[in-house]
Amino acid sequence: MDNLNQAPSERLALLIDLERCTGCKSCEAACKTEHRLGPGEYRNKVVWASELEQAGLAFLTLTCQHCERPACLRACPVNPKAISKDPVTGIVRVDESRCTGCGECVIACPYSAMGYDAQGHHAVKCDLCVERRAEGAQTTACASVCPTQAIRFGKREELLAEARNSGRAPRDHDHFLLGPATIYLERSSTQNVGGMVAVTPARAHPDSARRPSFMDGLAAQTAVQAQPPAFPYREERSEAAVDRVVPGGCNICFNCCTVKFHFKDNKLVKITGNDEDPLLKGRVCPKSQLTLQMYHSEHRLLYPQKRVGARGEGRFERVSWEQALDEIAEKLKKIREQYGAEALAMFVGTRTGILDYRTTTKMFAQLFGTPNKDGTDPFCASGKNVAFEITLGSIGSGNSYTERDLGSAQLYVYIGDNQAETRPVYFGMINDWRIKNGAKMVAVDPRLTATASKADRWLPIRPGTDMALGLALAQHIIANNLHDAKFCADWVLGFEQWRDFILQKGYTPEWAAPITGLAANDIRQLAEEIAAADGCVIFASRGINQHTNSTQTNRVLMFLSAITGNWGRRGGAYFNMSAGTPLAAKVPEDRAPKINRPRVRRSPAGWTDAMLYGKPYPIRALISCNNPLAQWPGQEKARAAFAALDLMVHIELFANETSAYADYLLPAASGIEKGEIGRSNDDRRVVWIDKMIDPPGEAKSDTWIWVELGKRLGFGDVLKEEYKDPAVLWDQVCIDTPAMKGCTQKRLHSVPHRWVRIPVASEDAPEIETLYLEGTTVPTGAPGRRFPTKSGKLEFWTEELEAKFNTLGLSALPEFYSEREQLVDLPYMELQETDAEEGVISPFCSPATGSARGKIIEPGPDHPGAKLRAQGFDTELVTGRPPAAHFHSWTHYFWQSQEMWPDLYCQIHPQKAAQLGIKDGERVCVESAHGKIEAMAWVHAGIRPTAVFIPIGWGERQPYNPWRPVNFLTDKTQRDPVSDQTNLKVLLCRVSRA
Amino acid sequence: MEVLRARSGAGVTLEFIDSVPRFFSVPRPDIPDARLLQLTAAAVIAILAWFLLRGLLPDAWRTPGSPELYLTGVAGVLLLLVPIAFVVAKRGGSGANPVNWFNAHVACSLAGMVLIAIHSGGFLRRPPALLLLALLALAALGIWARVRGSRRMAATFASKAPRFTVPDAATRERLRALISEKRALLFRLDPQANEGTFSVNLPHFIRSPRLALAYRRLAREESMLLGTRAAVSAQQAWWRPLHMALAWLFVLGVVIHVITVTFFAGYVADGGPVTWWHITAWGG
Repeated sequence: MDNLNQAPSERLALLIDLERCTGCKSCEAACKTEHRLGPGEYRNKVVWASELEQAGLAFLTLTCQHCERPACLRACPVNPKAISKDPVTGIVRVDESRCTGCGECVIACPYSAMGYDAQGHHAVKCDLCVERRAEGAQTTACASVCPTQAIRFGKREELLAEARNSGRAPRDHDHFLLGPATIYLERSSTQNVGGMVAVTPARAHPDSARRPSFMDGLAAQTAVQAQPPAFPYREERSEAAVDRVVPGGCNICFNCCTVKFHFKDNKLVKITGNDEDPLLKGRVCPKSQLTLQMYHSEHRLLYPQKRVGARGEGRFERVSWEQALDEIAEKLKKIREQYGAEALAMFVGTRTGILDYRTTTKMFAQLFGTPNKDGTDPFCASGKNVAFEITLGSIGSGNSYTERDLGSAQLYVYIGDNQAETRPVYFGMINDWRIKNGAKMVAVDPRLTATASKADRWLPIRPGTDMALGLALAQHIIANNLHDAKFCADWVLGFEQWRDFILQKGYTPEWAAPITGLAANDIRQLAEEIAAADGCVIFASRGINQHTNSTQTNRVLMFLSAITGNWGRRGGAYFNMSAGTPLAAKVPEDRAPKINRPRVRRSPAGWTDAMLYGKPYPIRALISCNNPLAQWPGQEKARAAFAALDLMVHIELFANETSAYADYLLPAASGIEKGEIGRSNDDRRVVWIDKMIDPPGEAKSDTWIWVELGKRLGFGDVLKEEYKDPAVLWDQVCIDTPAMKGCTQKRLHSVPHRWVRIPVASEDAPEIETLYLEGTTVPTGAPGRRFPTKSGKLEFWTEELEAKFNTLGLSALPEFYSEREQLVDLPYMELQETDAEEGVISPFCSPATGSARGKIIEPGPDHPGAKLRAQGFDTELVTGRPPAAHFHSWTHYFWQSQEMWPDLYCQIHPQKAAQLGIKDGERVCVESAHGKIEAMAWVHAGIRPTAVFIPIGWGERQPYNPWRPVNFLTDKTQRDPVSDQTNLKVLLCRVSRA
Repeated sequence: MEVLRARSGAGVTLEFIDSVPRFFSVPRPDIPDARLLQLTAAAVIAILAWFLLRGLLPDAWRTPGSPELYLTGVAGVLLLLVPIAFVVAKRGGSGANPVNWFNAHVACSLAGMVLIAIHSGGFLRRPPALLLLALLALAALGIWARVRGSRRMAATFASKAPRFTVPDAATRERLRALISEKRALLFRLDPQANEGTFSVNLPHFIRSPRLALAYRRLAREESMLLGTRAAVSAQQAWWRPLHMALAWLFVLGVVIHVITVTFFAGYVADGGPVTWWHITAWGG
């Protein structure tokens, strides 16, 4: 501020690093919890902005600047003022007891950093957590949780000195000579690589970029503000004074954040990161904190209900647990007698929690005798699981998020993985190492995601063509002898066959260029960078998995990592979230009835013909533990199928569209209400969550429900009463595998962070930072085997593998194909049998599972894509995860997740929007050959001009801003014959103004 | 004074003095929206009821200037003095609890409005009726600001992100000059004050009106350069200046009305009897 006043040396400030911020809004969640702010009330807010002319995405964490000359303070008409400035620390505070709510300070602040409580009629503002720090905290709430370390708190002069020492420049935002104390570090400059198609993401800043207008839509925000928030928001600080803290974890997503649960009189008042975790160090994503709004939500299901109206109508009556379970058991018995045990299907997964997904539900299915049980894997990750199993013999890379391992890489390549929004804390660590070590980052994605916005280069690939890119990268490396020949010779089985195959096929960068929409030079450059890097980590995720070529694309990228020596080393890996958690749950052989028919299909979406038409055999009952009527592709058919069932049971936290179709709606517990483990995550951490509170109303844990239902069906000797205690279930059942044996309750509770990295063969076995290092033996395998395959090597091709692939009409040597619905005609997968036909038994599944055989169809005059294009479907539809505050349906019942991201949106390029006359924030209609929905337009140059992106998770019966789910646009018949994974990443659609 | 300890992101332990008093222990006696709407509804119902039922009342309650209506007007004005007292308490530095004063201004304004409506005797086509109109407008504006405008106020947060723009040199130069002028002026107006946290208030206007006005002018120019009022919606930016302007117009109107009925009672009576207390009956 040009030295108008001498800043005191004790002046405190926040430092906000724009190079690190990924816009996750974790700081917003922390702030609102700490200060118990309600909807619409802010002390900080993360502003998203996107470029219109150039691909760029910017995030600005806006909070009070604690100015030397605070305009807010001077505007306050109260005398003595309701706003004051500490002469030593420089903190500007509002005295809410003196504020009359005139709002002059709100108007006066040029940074719009003065908040206002519209219910209590007074100003609110950041005070750098004076009270929190007075209670002993060492930093502000926002800085304590920031997943990317973008926010830091301290003495201003020291923060500035540190920034200068690390070569970072503070941004001059003192336009008004107010002397703001808050420091913003500029984005780092980046090398402009040129190239025809690769884009250096604009180091965008909100001054040049536009905020997506739908985010602040008045109607959407009013919907959130209309419902008063449950405890502890809007309560006095004393009401949330903490008297007990218990460590645990978040049970929502794959980052598996470790957290601390804060209680007052046994009432949960706050959730923060666990600062005693040596890995995550208290950094935590917004969802973990927002589960506070799940535990206290007024939308929770509280007691069992039985349908009284028509299916889909959503009319229920309250019944007792005894009545509900007795009646369900009786109906299941009748169905088993009439149609066979296979007529029961069980859809488990995300909401259920890994513990019940892998144990009680599995045991129940085995005891009942049905093979038709699966979770969300075939919609998310079954392709990569199969690929890992057949290549490595185990799921997951074996590496860890430590400075010595992933932190030592020279190059990070993200292909179809938006890690910044799906695992914000892990990305924060990678981004930190990138900045500190000068490592490079490349993002390959049809969208300029939050991840891509931090990359040195963004390659906006045509969706569904990553396999072509992988093949061309490998071809260029092999053809130019850039591969690690020794590794290939020593540790790869079938390398020669694969090498000869791709050289013979001519999968060159020039071949891949028109397919991928990327320049051949860019492909060559990336290939050479991967080969040259002393440690390259390739991250892939749903962008690779959710395709009909899921397994083969994953294999190609694994092969790419392997041939460049990036496997079984520190700083080199192929990641695809997440590593599995191998829990044991097998019932005694004499208690499991013989299963007479194979599972209809691995994908639950493949069960709908069995429900509707009884083919290949009837499925008459479904027990669903999450929300298939937002999640399953091809919603029209899914709903018709559910309507045709004899029995539909829904176990859930909140009433949703699936609930409306249920005969019985059973209220479930979650997280600390029941005790469980966190999701499977990237680096093999098993996070234990104790049962700490009782569930609301009559809600019960999933384990309790399965044990009780089991009793009524005669399974009580196996699904034992004592298993209702998750700790007993864990020690007695779950860890009876070589990898898990040492992961006991005792060991999990011996550390303040409550996690153990597997495999640990015994309670005192050390955790292994990096698996499969040269000279080591796989911990749970035979001596001398470096990798857990039968051969001890990575397996690209074997005769046995070839035979398995041949069963499904494919070769073990991955041949390129893409999707049926494309803007250019490419080879695509056509399944030879419908779901109503038995097909063949898949050699890649257990238990025995029916599968369609596949056939790669070369482009021809009857290409289905061409037909759709002729009908006006001229746009690539990409679906995927919304930003970090949301995860599937359940976060839509958290008011603050909805406040952050209220409406279903459709990202659309400005060129396409202009052609269609669509303005930012307008309602648009999106139609595919499979259905139609509406969404709000987000005009954003960071997406391929030919594509639109619509996120998953919204549903029609959500309490704040309901929308039809995007899966009305998807197609259940486009699946990978190997893994049964559905294509959710490229379908043709047309967009118009609604 | 309280010593706090903090640890910076780099793990450095900080010690600093936090001299800001604890604020949040004081309960804030806010009037919730629902209560405000109830009060308003009660006032409106009372006015409507009086207008509907006044035909049934004795003549005195329908005759402007009757002792009954005269005293009602006096009572109304006394109640409406509370908002003026609120302004003085809030700005004068003597109000211990400005929020209580605010609440009193709301309650007394609404009650005063009812009494003034009764005082009008239902004669709404005469100039004094403008005062009643001003009161109704004041109440409507205040209620809008509290119930609806406060939501806009809340939504203003983070709405001015473009203000983080690259600084404009000319604006900065003018601001620099303005700040120098303000400092020079402040040295004469209040030598102990710090320009960065100072704004003129009622005592300054009483002690040094010329200097206070000059300072206010500079402060307004600075505000204009910041463009903050222009950066929000017109309703949000101007409801309060309008509310205050209307209030002053009302006060001016009341003064004129009081002078007229007190000194020009004959003119007001327009040939009829002068039934209220007055000093002269000029204009008869």
